[in-house]
Amino acid sequence: MVLALSRASLCRSLPQGTACLPSVRTYANSPPGQQGQFKIQNVKGSRKSKVNKTFSRKNRIGAFRSMNPSQLTVPVLQPRPSLSMPSFKPELMTENMIGQVVAFNQTLNDPIKYFGTPKNMLLEFRLLSQRCSVIRNITILTTEELNSAASEPSHKTRYVLTGPSGCGKSFLLLQAVQYCLAKEWIVIYIPRAKTTVNSTTTHVYDLRTQTYLQPNYAQQTLRRILEVNSANLQTLTMRDGLSYERRSFSSGTTLAQLASAGSKDPAISSVVLETLLTELCRQSKIPVLLAVDDFQSIYNQKTSYRDPHFSAIRPYHLAIPRFILEFASGKRSFPKGAIIGALTAADPAFPVTNELMDELGVPGVHPRSPYSKRSKILQEYARGLRNLPVPTEFSPREAASVFETWMRDNALTAPANDELFLAKYTESAGNPKAFVWQGILGTLEGAAPVVNESTSWPQLREGRI
Amino acid sequence: MNILRSQICSVLRRPLYRQLTTTARPFVPPAQLVFHDNLYVPGAKELDDSTVEALVGETNEQEPEDDEEDPNDDRDKPHPDSPNFYTGRSSYYDNIVELQNAISRTRGTLQRLHLLPLPDFARKSLQPMPTVWKTPEEMTTDFETNMTISRYRRVTTLLNELNEYLRIATTAGYADVADRIGSIISIFESGKKEAFLSRGIRKPVLLDQHGRSYTFGKRKTSAARVWMIPVKSSTHETISDVNVEEVFGLSNEHKRSPVNVTVSTILVNNIPIAEYFPQPVDRERIVRPLKVAGVLGKYNVFTIVRGGGTTGQSGAIAHGIAKGIFAHEPETGLVLKRAKLLRRDPRMVERKKTGLAKARKRYTWVKR
Repeated sequence: MVLALSRASLCRSLPQGTACLPSVRTYANSPPGQQGQFKIQNVKGSRKSKVNKTFSRKNRIGAFRSMNPSQLTVPVLQPRPSLSMPSFKPELMTENMIGQVVAFNQTLNDPIKYFGTPKNMLLEFRLLSQRCSVIRNITILTTEELNSAASEPSHKTRYVLTGPSGCGKSFLLLQAVQYCLAKEWIVIYIPRAKTTVNSTTTHVYDLRTQTYLQPNYAQQTLRRILEVNSANLQTLTMRDGLSYERRSFSSGTTLAQLASAGSKDPAISSVVLETLLTELCRQSKIPVLLAVDDFQSIYNQKTSYRDPHFSAIRPYHLAIPRFILEFASGKRSFPKGAIIGALTAADPAFPVTNELMDELGVPGVHPRSPYSKRSKILQEYARGLRNLPVPTEFSPREAASVFETWMRDNALTAPANDELFLAKYTESAGNPKAFVWQGILGTLEGAAPVVNESTSWPQLREGRI
Repeated sequence: MNILRSQICSVLRRPLYRQLTTTARPFVPPAQLVFHDNLYVPGAKELDDSTVEALVGETNEQEPEDDEEDPNDDRDKPHPDSPNFYTGRSSYYDNIVELQNAISRTRGTLQRLHLLPLPDFARKSLQPMPTVWKTPEEMTTDFETNMTISRYRRVTTLLNELNEYLRIATTAGYADVADRIGSIISIFESGKKEAFLSRGIRKPVLLDQHGRSYTFGKRKTSAARVWMIPVKSSTHETISDVNVEEVFGLSNEHKRSPVNVTVSTILVNNIPIAEYFPQPVDRERIVRPLKVAGVLGKYNVFTIVRGGGTTGQSGAIAHGIAKGIFAHEPETGLVLKRAKLLRRDPRMVERKKTGLAKARKRYTWVKR
């Protein structure tokens, strides 16, 4: 039994071929400066024992010892050159930029940070080194529509982005949000409208409005609107005063002050949000964009909420979905602005309903007949929505740009060549989500096996798999 | 019926150069021979005039008196067609004899032409001529005898030897000798020779008037019908971005001219491949033949697949695509074969056996 010798030196003194004695174990010693890091101070029983045990968990951090960065020679871990891509600007929205990847830089009022994004997009941005997206021809089309909508009431520009699963509707919506924000619009972006109807946020029945208020969600929304649009909101003022629950706002207060008051107190947040929207409906100085992802979830007749009689609450009886429905149907309208919604094609909990499909002219998976169930109220709320179909597939150019972006981010396990690109493009049939998630990120193809000429075994020499 | 008799008489009976001492004559019994004075008759003596007159008188007397025909008189009886009549299998033995004659003549010919005996190296370089002889049943009808194994073997041995001489003659370039042997051999060759020799060889797939190939692929219990047509490369979209530096020649980068890239569309039961096969492994399996052959983006593929599950259907489509690529481009045959893509995967679900729970799984072993 070796006691006095240190274990590391023992192993070094042995010839290389021999195995270490079973009683002697080697563990990484903690770095010199961190010897006492995990020692418990001033506790009884923490004295060092005189007998050195062969195995002791003290002063050990397991098998981990951080390596010097210069020792990292694996190619994957080499510092990669930073992606040099242009940042998203409204001036870049031209025909010759189709197929170019642009980055969403972090600004003070970054909508991605404050409003959030749908879950898939969030994961993708986490994997990428920079948050970016590719400009497609539909992007140019949408920006042209928004340019023309900047001077018209919002009830004239109500679009719904449709298309099969994974064709890029959410990304297009985010691009529209970024564009409008860069153009100094007021932007209200609700990335996951599903959360307003799936019973994850508090709902309180309000006798005055005879609807269910969602105070916490209203508070969050006000906070987000304020963070992103603070500059614009400070220029706008209230026309009428508001007094509610011992809080009063005079007629000249800026909308920013109103919103900040509402974002701090959930008790008044619902009313403040309603007032804010009313004031925005009155002012005609700054255009307003209301962008809603998961648009079909608020058109489902039954939400996940239950009333005291255990019947499902309708979406138009909940405060937040109701105001979205009102703006989407044109019953309320911003004097300047647009309403854009994006469907989520493959959500079984909140599918695209017959009323929406009828209005948008979308064929749908199952055949519909005049006898299928439809709600008159929701049909009313869906009237006037226009379909903006998103192309189902990337053009080869756009796909190539996306491929290069992931390639530069070291996301490829296989050698990056045109064969891999074409194979993945063909397999995914150009579908953006399938191309990125199942093609680039989900492939098991690796580097081709290299024939080792120096081995004496012929089967290895021939490189047989 | 000696089917060879007429052939042989016309073809081979004509001797090549040897002069026969005797001429061929039909068989006549000696009693009927009529001798003239000038002719030589073996063992005949000089007869007196009186003896000759007496003999002539005798014959003259007998002829008008004999009105009835003697049944044992051999003068008018029909002769048997073949000398092997009394074997009972005249046709069979006639053919055997003719074949043996043909072999001996040909051997003689080839020996005189110094083609026999052939050294080993020359024998190895002979042109291969696989033959398929008639079946014993067919020969039975031809020879009018029951072709037992030994009789069939005897005939085929002779025919194989003749075939060897045919090979030698064709390889040496003696077309007339080869033709003569070939005419004999062709009588005994089976009508299904072409079909038998071409068994297992891939039939070439033809492209239709639009340049489409139609191939079949199978895997497990799935079957796929695959149509492939080359993609028409239209004029590519003009890139209208004007790089000012390049225009003025100030750019340092060497910019390559844009390549027109065509992409393949694969439709399975009229549904895009990404929608029909959600699993990436199925999609990769289908695209693999295009990758291996290096023709990604060259062909559009339309498939109708039936039967089986996802793996079977994707394997069947891949098989069909590989055959289609081979039809369009035969040069890719070697690389597709090495990748085992042209092979119909023979693995099928193994049957359940009695006494076993499944194909291989045994029931739990119980000690007692």
